[in-house]
Amino acid sequence: MHRLAAWVLVAAAVASTAVSGLVAERMAAGRDEARSLLYLPNGKHLRTISLGHAPLLADFVYLWAIQFYSDYDREERFQYVEHVFSDVIAELDPRFVDAYWLGAMILIVEAGRLDDGLALLERGFERNPDQWILPYLAGWEAWMARQPARAAEYFRQASAVPGAPVLTRRMQAGMLRRAGDERTALGLWRELLEDPASDEASRAIASRKVRELEGTVLLAGVREAVERYRSETGALPRSLEALAQRGYLSAVPRDPSGRPFHYDPRTGRVAPPSGRVLGGDE
Amino acid sequence: MSAPAPARVPPPWAAIVAIGLNTFREAIRDRILYLLLVFALVVIGASRLLSLLTVGSEDKIIKDLGLSAISIFGVMTAGFMGVSLVFKEIERRTVYTLLANPVRRWQFVTGKFAGLLSVLVLNVTLMYAALAVLLWIRGEQPLALAPAVLLTGVELAVVTAFALLFSSLTNPILAAVWTFAVYVTGHLVWSVRLLGERLPPGFARGTCEALYWLLPNLDRMNVRAEVVHGIALPDGFLAVSALYGASYTVVVLALASLALERKDFA
Repeated sequence: MHRLAAWVLVAAAVASTAVSGLVAERMAAGRDEARSLLYLPNGKHLRTISLGHAPLLADFVYLWAIQFYSDYDREERFQYVEHVFSDVIAELDPRFVDAYWLGAMILIVEAGRLDDGLALLERGFERNPDQWILPYLAGWEAWMARQPARAAEYFRQASAVPGAPVLTRRMQAGMLRRAGDERTALGLWRELLEDPASDEASRAIASRKVRELEGTVLLAGVREAVERYRSETGALPRSLEALAQRGYLSAVPRDPSGRPFHYDPRTGRVAPPSGRVLGGDE
Repeated sequence: MSAPAPARVPPPWAAIVAIGLNTFREAIRDRILYLLLVFALVVIGASRLLSLLTVGSEDKIIKDLGLSAISIFGVMTAGFMGVSLVFKEIERRTVYTLLANPVRRWQFVTGKFAGLLSVLVLNVTLMYAALAVLLWIRGEQPLALAPAVLLTGVELAVVTAFALLFSSLTNPILAAVWTFAVYVTGHLVWSVRLLGERLPPGFARGTCEALYWLLPNLDRMNVRAEVVHGIALPDGFLAVSALYGASYTVVVLALASLALERKDFA
């Protein structure tokens, strides 16, 4: 009799566990799980209790974060991304480079928060000044967001890291040109062309870019001289030769191939010999 | 009539070697090497699992996991075996037989320590070898991790010495608690100095500073993050840290011998 009662008690306990577990599971499904991330302790505190195993703890949080942010059904999943990747993982293991770029990619590509993502990459670079890849990625993201001046600055930072590939300087020069700073871009391409550390492919690209930009910069200079002449005399110059004779140009301008520019004295328009802006096909 | 030949006195290291060998055999008989199987399963299983869970960083995580597992398994072995070493001899009364022979108590302590350290060195070496094979298969350079493994060995020597000291003073449960407390304190000793810096100059601040230098600083033997990220260690850091750990171990072993000297086994 006692035995039967004991079995009934055990069976009831098993059934109660199963039912209450299922109900609790359903109730938990309605909760805002992202909010619990806010209470994830800062990495500085976790580091203290890790007893010398902080990098391993950073790995565990990183693995967990990947699973958490990969669940596309989760609402508000982009809350506290900086907290997880910057305050927790990066504090536990400041040299964990992958965590910075992954957090930044989640912020920029998925959450559409460019500034926050770039800030995370900047923080990573502050802590890892030997990792050119972090400002390089920031440069790419700024360029994708059509912010070439910002991108050029990131590529400049990347290229300043010892051991950074020539590609970073090429990207900086390309972004400067897109940002409208053609003279600085030309100077950078010239440096790349003359730098013995440049590889063959980079030198070939630099040679083409220097040629294109020299024409563009020269053309811009001639247009500026025409404009200056007009503002000072109130009339357009008769020809580019006359402009040079009056001292507005040091010599009669020719494009890098030695061909003269086209000048229309009725409109003051200056055009390259081909009729197209050199390098305009980029 | 010729004088009787003087009795041959064995050199002091003979007793240490004999006790050490005996401790080593006993540990092997306790199937301590099964831990290695667990370690291999953890590391290999983790490496298989990581390809499913992570985005990049697989090698970094395997290295972190492997090095931490070597340290944690090592500390567990050192702690659990070390705390019962002397106590067991006293419980079984084998220490009476042993010390009835011309064996000094410091030789007994040193022999016990040497035996357990040999087991730990074997453990750590085999665990490192398993990790190295896994990394080598993945095209990584396992030799870069050697400084961290070496300093983990030194850290284990310090923990073992403390376990022996506490084993000479009290029962295994208390000794285990104290050893764990030393391990925790050893990794948090920086906080004692931090506390001192926040205090006004005076007795309390001086005490904090003294404690900072007196307590074992086990973080000095932790270069796991540096070797995993390929950060160069300062010149001579490895040697100085190893020397610090070895010297500290000798001091703790001397204290353990002293504690045993005071025990009456007559």
